[in-house]
Amino acid sequence: MKLREYEAKSILKSAGIPVPAGFLIRSADELTPRLGELGTAFVLKAQVDVGGRGKAGGILMADKATGTKVAEELFAKQIKGLPVKEILAEQKLDIHHEYYLSITVDRSSKQPLILFTDAGGVEIEITAKEHPELIRKLVANPLMRDLPPFMIRELIGTAPKEIGPIINKLYLVFIGKDAILAEINPLVTTPDGVFAADAKIIVDDNALGRQGITVNRDLSDREREAEKHGFSYVELDGKIGVIGNGAGLTMATLDLIEYYGGKAANFLDVGGGAESERVMHAVRLVASVPSVKVIVVNLLGGITKCDEVAKGIIAAGISQKVIVRLAGTNEAEGRKLLSEKGYEMLDTMDLVVKKAVEVTA
Amino acid sequence: MIYGDRNTGILVQGATGKQGEFHIGLMNAYAKQVGGIGVVAGVTPGKGGQQVHGVPVYNTVKAAMKDHDIGAAVIFVPAGAAADAIMEEANAGITTIVCITEHIPVQDTMKAIAYARIEGASVIGPNCPGLLSPGEVKMGIMPSGLFSRGNVGVISRSGTLTYEVVDELTRAGIGQSTVVGIGGDPVIGQTFVDVLEQFGNDPQTKAVVLIGEVGGNLEEEGAKSTDLPIVSYIAGVSAPPDKRMGHAGAIVEGGEGDARSKITRLKKHGVPVASRVSEIPDMVRDLFRCRC
Repeated sequence: MKLREYEAKSILKSAGIPVPAGFLIRSADELTPRLGELGTAFVLKAQVDVGGRGKAGGILMADKATGTKVAEELFAKQIKGLPVKEILAEQKLDIHHEYYLSITVDRSSKQPLILFTDAGGVEIEITAKEHPELIRKLVANPLMRDLPPFMIRELIGTAPKEIGPIINKLYLVFIGKDAILAEINPLVTTPDGVFAADAKIIVDDNALGRQGITVNRDLSDREREAEKHGFSYVELDGKIGVIGNGAGLTMATLDLIEYYGGKAANFLDVGGGAESERVMHAVRLVASVPSVKVIVVNLLGGITKCDEVAKGIIAAGISQKVIVRLAGTNEAEGRKLLSEKGYEMLDTMDLVVKKAVEVTA
Repeated sequence: MIYGDRNTGILVQGATGKQGEFHIGLMNAYAKQVGGIGVVAGVTPGKGGQQVHGVPVYNTVKAAMKDHDIGAAVIFVPAGAAADAIMEEANAGITTIVCITEHIPVQDTMKAIAYARIEGASVIGPNCPGLLSPGEVKMGIMPSGLFSRGNVGVISRSGTLTYEVVDELTRAGIGQSTVVGIGGDPVIGQTFVDVLEQFGNDPQTKAVVLIGEVGGNLEEEGAKSTDLPIVSYIAGVSAPPDKRMGHAGAIVEGGEGDARSKITRLKKHGVPVASRVSEIPDMVRDLFRCRC
């Protein structure tokens, strides 16, 4: 789950990384009594979960005289379609130079990957494409508590030495907060020292519980409902509802729908070991989307038992047509249950998908 | 076969849980069918002395190792305890560790895999269905009825999609040497590169089906690392960016790891890529035809 800038900065601050003085407001009125706190000129930053916020008009300059009016203006805006509900009011920094620092999970080395470049302030993807030689990279052994000083020296090169401790502090944040991304862009030098001018932290969805996060804000209401039942759900915009077991098979089912010229309404992976009740909830959830005309259930039993699945489909009792393909563990029992209730069962995934595309054409 | 054979004694961590118990039964039924050893011991802390399908349960891996010859372990414990289970097995000297558990925080996985590497253990998974060498051994949850013995290796980030491919291969009369589900998480122990290296040293394996999905570039790294003939399939051509498609690792992030660019890179490297799973058997046959 993505943290908002103010949340990320509050974590950095607790970890001893300097951040600009600032505070969060939820209305322009909240700013008025505090106008004097941030000096004459300051910055108002919309706290919305989108990239490229600055270019989209989500960051505005203000001063003591104009502050309330500029805040009202920003609260009235939509940034890439999202309403502005929170604004971070921040001291304006006298920036000398902008650096980039991030820590991510590197799939190839299976270790945290630290990136540092003197060319900060721009998107790292752009720098990586145009000037890959400017990016210094190191992987850290996850069994070490701190980054060894030589790694930090290699990373910062000729950049100011004050950045060194910040890299290790960010590494501790990355580990301690179960982050899959911890990014400071830009990390800036000013006459008053080094500051994290912007910050981004994404917390591992598999670690939200132990990080004390109870609601995953990145999910839509229906996705959250799906999560409660233990399956992954992604909303799409077609007419064919899809329920699969296993992410790969469900993705392949969506791809096959596209291959045959249809459009999937959703991705729903019921997960391993699906009980009949969970399958029932899955079928009902997919059927509850008004645009869904037909539902493809494509299940191969591994850790999932087909008879449980069949019971779930039957118990859902929905009005849309359900086309089923079942194979694997306890397959014979599952088949028998479904055919007794008159559900259409076809033998291969090509056949069920073709049929569903025909029904919706 | 790779990672183990019919003579490999298997330990199941999380033996007394619902899934552990269910799959000990299936693994041992398969072992019986092929004349293999199968699961010889279970471990659940605090449940030592119990039995699951006649398999003795121990409190610790080391206690189980004292009484049995164990070459591989399969983990069914909950996410919060799974990294610890990997490290316990690696520390006890088990060299092949299959972790079925999903939803393990990635920081835990990185630590456990780094530790296992020091102890000299290979971790398959996490968030994987394990592996099956038809006629030899099953370590994990793959439905054995779909498999047939042969000389095509299969490596996949998925579980059920692997079964789909294996089913297609078997129906087409193409048997498998070993089928390995490497897991759907962003960080996994054995990657395509590692399993392809094993297949490269396996006289039984003549070609490999590589099943990937959106996220990362481990498929391309794998394809570049081997001389074995490969057919590939990449799931997620229709996956929208920045959305996690079921697997923690199945996400197109920062414009990286989308299916189409993966497919382009694989094809550029000379790897044929199927656009539907059902095309795979014919493409595998074509591989053999070219090599005759």
